[in-house]
Amino acid sequence: MSGASGTRAVWWWLSLAMLVVMAVFLLYPLLNILTGSFGSGGRNGWAQLLADTTYLEAIGNTLILATAVTLLSVLIGVPLAYLASRYSFPGKSALALLPLITLVIPEVITAQTWLMLLGNNGVITRALRAYDIALPSFYGWNGLIVSLTFTYYAYVYISTLAAVRGFDVQLEEAAQSLGTSPVKSRLKVLVPVILPSVMAGALLVFTMVMGNFGTSSILGGPVKLLSVMTYQAAVAEGGSDPVMQSTLASVAVGLIVIVLFCQRWILSRGRYQVVQGRSARPVPLAGGQALLLGGAAGAVVVISLMPLVMLVAGAFTRARGPVMAWGEWTFANFERLLLTNPAPILNTLLYAGTATVIGMMASTIISYMIVKKRNTFTPLLDYLGTLPLALSGTAIGIGLAMSFNGGWLPLTGTGAIIVLAYVIRRLPFAMRNASSTLYNIPDSIEEASISLGVPPVPSFFKVVLPLMLPAIASAMVLTWAVTVSELSTSIIVYSGGRETMPIQIYKLIDSNLMASASAMGVLLLAVILIPIVIATKVFKVELFSSG
Amino acid sequence: MGIKIENLGVTYGNHRVIEGLSLAIEPGSFFTLLGPSGCGKTTLLRTIAGFIDASTGRILFGGSDVTRLPAHRRNIGMVFQDYALFPDKTVNDNVAYGLRARGEEGATMRRKIGEALERVGLGHLGERHPAALSGGQRQRVALARALVIQPQVLLMDEPLSNLDAKLRLQVRGTITELQREAGITTVFVTHDQEEALAMSDRIGVMKSGKLEQVGTPSQIYRESVSAYVADFVGAANTIEIDAPAGTAGQGTASIRLAGHAMAARVPAPLTGPKAMFVARPEDISLAPRGEGGGNRVAGTVTGRQYLGGKTSYVVEIGEGITLAVETHGDGHDRHVPGAAVDLGFDPQKTLVLAS
Ligand SMILES: Nc1ncnc2c1ncn2[C@@H]1O[C@H](COP(=O)(O)OP(=O)(O)OP(=O)(O)O)[C@@H](O)[C@H]1O
Ligand SMILES: [Mg+2]
Repeated sequence: MSGASGTRAVWWWLSLAMLVVMAVFLLYPLLNILTGSFGSGGRNGWAQLLADTTYLEAIGNTLILATAVTLLSVLIGVPLAYLASRYSFPGKSALALLPLITLVIPEVITAQTWLMLLGNNGVITRALRAYDIALPSFYGWNGLIVSLTFTYYAYVYISTLAAVRGFDVQLEEAAQSLGTSPVKSRLKVLVPVILPSVMAGALLVFTMVMGNFGTSSILGGPVKLLSVMTYQAAVAEGGSDPVMQSTLASVAVGLIVIVLFCQRWILSRGRYQVVQGRSARPVPLAGGQALLLGGAAGAVVVISLMPLVMLVAGAFTRARGPVMAWGEWTFANFERLLLTNPAPILNTLLYAGTATVIGMMASTIISYMIVKKRNTFTPLLDYLGTLPLALSGTAIGIGLAMSFNGGWLPLTGTGAIIVLAYVIRRLPFAMRNASSTLYNIPDSIEEASISLGVPPVPSFFKVVLPLMLPAIASAMVLTWAVTVSELSTSIIVYSGGRETMPIQIYKLIDSNLMASASAMGVLLLAVILIPIVIATKVFKVELFSSG
Repeated sequence: MGIKIENLGVTYGNHRVIEGLSLAIEPGSFFTLLGPSGCGKTTLLRTIAGFIDASTGRILFGGSDVTRLPAHRRNIGMVFQDYALFPDKTVNDNVAYGLRARGEEGATMRRKIGEALERVGLGHLGERHPAALSGGQRQRVALARALVIQPQVLLMDEPLSNLDAKLRLQVRGTITELQREAGITTVFVTHDQEEALAMSDRIGVMKSGKLEQVGTPSQIYRESVSAYVADFVGAANTIEIDAPAGTAGQGTASIRLAGHAMAARVPAPLTGPKAMFVARPEDISLAPRGEGGGNRVAGTVTGRQYLGGKTSYVVEIGEGITLAVETHGDGHDRHVPGAAVDLGFDPQKTLVLAS
């Protein structure tokens, strides 16, 4: 074996092996979904889809919902980001909590707590009912739009914030010096610069709403939605419909692919690359302005934090079945969960723990090859690694269930299929984290080690890996956080006795047992937060160091 | 230990970057690869190091073929443009890295580290991390790290280009001194001609993957084999002219430059109907019209830049044909723009090369 090509062969085989693994667990399920939609024995899912107006209605509703939530998210997220980066006002530091909140609070919990406030039995609904004021029903459009907006607007906020911060004030000043008025020059110069980031955040929200299952199913009420119908076609007891589940999952995939292509196209037109310059020093606000803007920003933060407060209150409130006895505090909800059925907690720890470790290792190795050891296969690995972004959680679940139900790799009914679901869904997230740190480690470091006599593979472990460790640690904690709250895929592939915490919460909400659901939610938050706190406080891991 | 390269070819995919390159580097000498961006200097250096595979040809270190030897077994010292220090290790641990890989430890290792750092003048900074060093200090640590393992050859890819002008001179001095002291065969890559002339025993000027000329600094500068080399190594006036008749061989020929007849040297046989007139600005003398000696050409000063110890002029000698001229000595700035002047050429220093 020759010099450099000897070690290159190792990476060549490894990337081929990874490609095969990804093809089996990603492409094969996708293929099964698509072929399944054409049915067998003359029953074609696409014909049925077009014939039945409820399906078309669900697709229309999904698009309307995604559009509405995206617009509202931009309306909240963009001004908030501008406010946060350009002005300082009392209480501003609370805004820094926002990215954490969105990552940490699982959307089922957000939906649940909105129900506890405004649902048929909600605190506010009942209080107003005492004064004979009837609120419009929260099930349906109202609930969906409100809850999903507050679940997702922070994505627009975060991406806009980065753009406004990186924006060179000199550009704005230059425009002013050329004679345009401040407001006009701001719009003229700033808008085109931050637009790509706003768009990126908005499209992310759009795809997430389209793929959303938990909130859609809990709050959807009479509104038919694609993800919920797909789920029902997949798991409805006695009524599951293999052809329709494939067809609807294909539609979901198709819609997201179209959106992602639009995103590509918009980003490719983004000639707006700004050289990082002097970013604006925040202007202090005072008096009425401070009160108004600070108040508005504060309201957004308070509403975002509301789920936490409701959750904790609900968890410690005595309940008889669905009826909450507000004001009567108790530990009974926790006792019941921990004593009678601790399985969901243990399952979550086991599956998410395994998936996080596997996912981190796989994403580190794959990203390393993509960034540092490019060969014929690595561009394909890159594409496959981002593919799960184009698949809704429900579609991934259906694909896995169809592909590994018996046959040569029977995984249905095992914990492995849940772990697999977790790894696949969070792979793009983990890979993005890993590759961004790898791009920051110059190739010369590794070559320096080799030139000093250490072979390539030990060189990786001795000099590259130690430099990646801080980033791996933070990515691991974040991956853990987003994995334990996964619902839409696991709820399709799990089997009795293998419920995870989000699945259990979903079931409890479905049975209207809000107190138990709250207690489980608090435990879920603890499972998410404890590693984050330990990592940041004890091990000084910096989360969001890049953002 | 000498380096010998025989008929080397390197390709990236289908893109042929180095072709049929042969070169012999004397044991213990300082060899510089000089050339414009993209000509393949880094590629050649990294192929010598073993990071890139040769598609054809052989590389020999002191007579033994290393073409198929992996980089980590070639016993090379390498210094990178971006220092490539391990940021999580102290200066001491950076220098120790290669020694540890060779199984050294304990007191001997510590002594070697101390000596290596002492030699680059950083004996007191061993406990620091690279982030707490200046650019010049970092490159010195990198140098110590590369030399402490007593490599057979030292390879450096533009090690000075990230440093500011003053530091560049200092580190340049350190490199030359250490290289001479250790007598280690060195290949140095740069696109700075001044660096190349000042530091090297021999220079190889590269042009799109091939060596255009190999020679000592003065050979490269004085006896450039082509206008490309002459222009790259120091400023040169290059003007295309008709090839002088009857100069198939070498010697002095009479040529016509912008309509003026004059004599120039033809160092190598010319091919084709056109040739390149090459004269360095400092080799051209300048005198008021009528006061010049032999072998002169009349012109008009069209530009002047006073540079302290010398003055740089632009002189027009024909419609749109200008020459850069540099004068030193007393009254070097006495010619004013618009003045009619005579340009004097030394036939030995004025070359006619194949174009
Ligand atoms: N990994 C690569 N894949 C394909 N082509 C490459 C690669 N690396 C370099 N090249 C090409 O090979 C040629 C030589 O590159 P090389 O880096 O050796 O130039 P260089 O002389 O070191 O230039 P510079 O002075 O800018 O460092 C260039 O045309 C470059 O575009
Ligand atoms: Mg180079």
